[in-house]
Amino acid sequence: MAARKKDYTAMSDEMLVRSAQRGDMRAFEELVARHRDKVYARAFSMMRNEDDAVDISQEAWVKGWQRLKQFQGESSFLTWMTRIVINLCLDALRKQKRQRAESVEEMEEESGGVERQMPVVTPNPTAGLERSELRQRIDKALNQLSYEHRTVLILHEFEELEYKEIAKRMQCSIGTVMSRLFYARRKMAALMASYKKTELAP
Amino acid sequence: MNTEIELKLQSYLDGELPAREAKQVEGLTQADPAARALFGELQTTRAALRGNELERTLPESREFYWSKIERAILAAEQAGERRASSFGLGWLVRYWPQFSGAAVAVVLLIAGATQFNWFSSPGWDEIENTLDDSGSFTFRSEQNRMTLVWVSSHPQAEQDEDGELVN
Repeated sequence: MAARKKDYTAMSDEMLVRSAQRGDMRAFEELVARHRDKVYARAFSMMRNEDDAVDISQEAWVKGWQRLKQFQGESSFLTWMTRIVINLCLDALRKQKRQRAESVEEMEEESGGVERQMPVVTPNPTAGLERSELRQRIDKALNQLSYEHRTVLILHEFEELEYKEIAKRMQCSIGTVMSRLFYARRKMAALMASYKKTELAP
Repeated sequence: MNTEIELKLQSYLDGELPAREAKQVEGLTQADPAARALFGELQTTRAALRGNELERTLPESREFYWSKIERAILAAEQAGERRASSFGLGWLVRYWPQFSGAAVAVVLLIAGATQFNWFSSPGWDEIENTLDDSGSFTFRSEQNRMTLVWVSSHPQAEQDEDGELVN
């Protein structure tokens, strides 16, 4: 009697992971199909470049397959994969930073020289915005941050990691994380307010 | 407001401040308008960002994207297998001078032990030995630390009692 063909699309992530851990590559392919957009989106948010994001997300999937036996299910599979892609992005960004000279603006941002002078933004610049418009503006503002400030915001606000965990991943002190997060938030507020003013101007 | 207070306001917002300090910061936000305004801005920014990441779709088809991943996985596995299989011969290639030297030493030791019975006659200096049956001739010089073995394809010519060749 012929064996019944597996319906991978009907299987849960946990079942697919177990199959893939036994070497079933079709099960892994289904996991990739399910989560590829999220993994790619995280790579893009950090790299701000489509080609880099595609390459790094694929590298993350290859690493995911190679390390799959280490996955014990403490977190969801997507969370585990997201951590892999974040680490690969951090490595790539560190490499990029070493290769290019730092701009004066970046050095000022690092020391907090620019944002500390900024007045507090009132009223709320995001009030009354449609969700899609708000997301577009957030993305636009993120694009204008240095990679250190953007990364700390992504890890804290989107990945919801604690200061300690961010410090570990970014290989810096908790104090540096707090300082970067503070200035990143302040700059985001100022940028969001500036978009509002520009668009309201006649 | 100094940097320490600014960062404490933020830590309070993120729930990363110990309970005792949290009480102090809470009091500060009520008593100090500047602290309250800054806290409000941080709070608004955090609330705007949470859950509002722009969604993105991969710009490649499922098949194309997966095919590159699959190729990379298979290539890495094949490379791993090649490394594993070459390891067996790899050590021989790497250590061949030591290995061949040891092999020669073992051959010489065996030859010496069988030809000269070294273990029972330690006092000799030079020995010549002929093996009529096999047609070989061995010369050993302890002074020069060498052993020479000739192997002849022709039977050794017989000699008469006076040492003259018979044939």
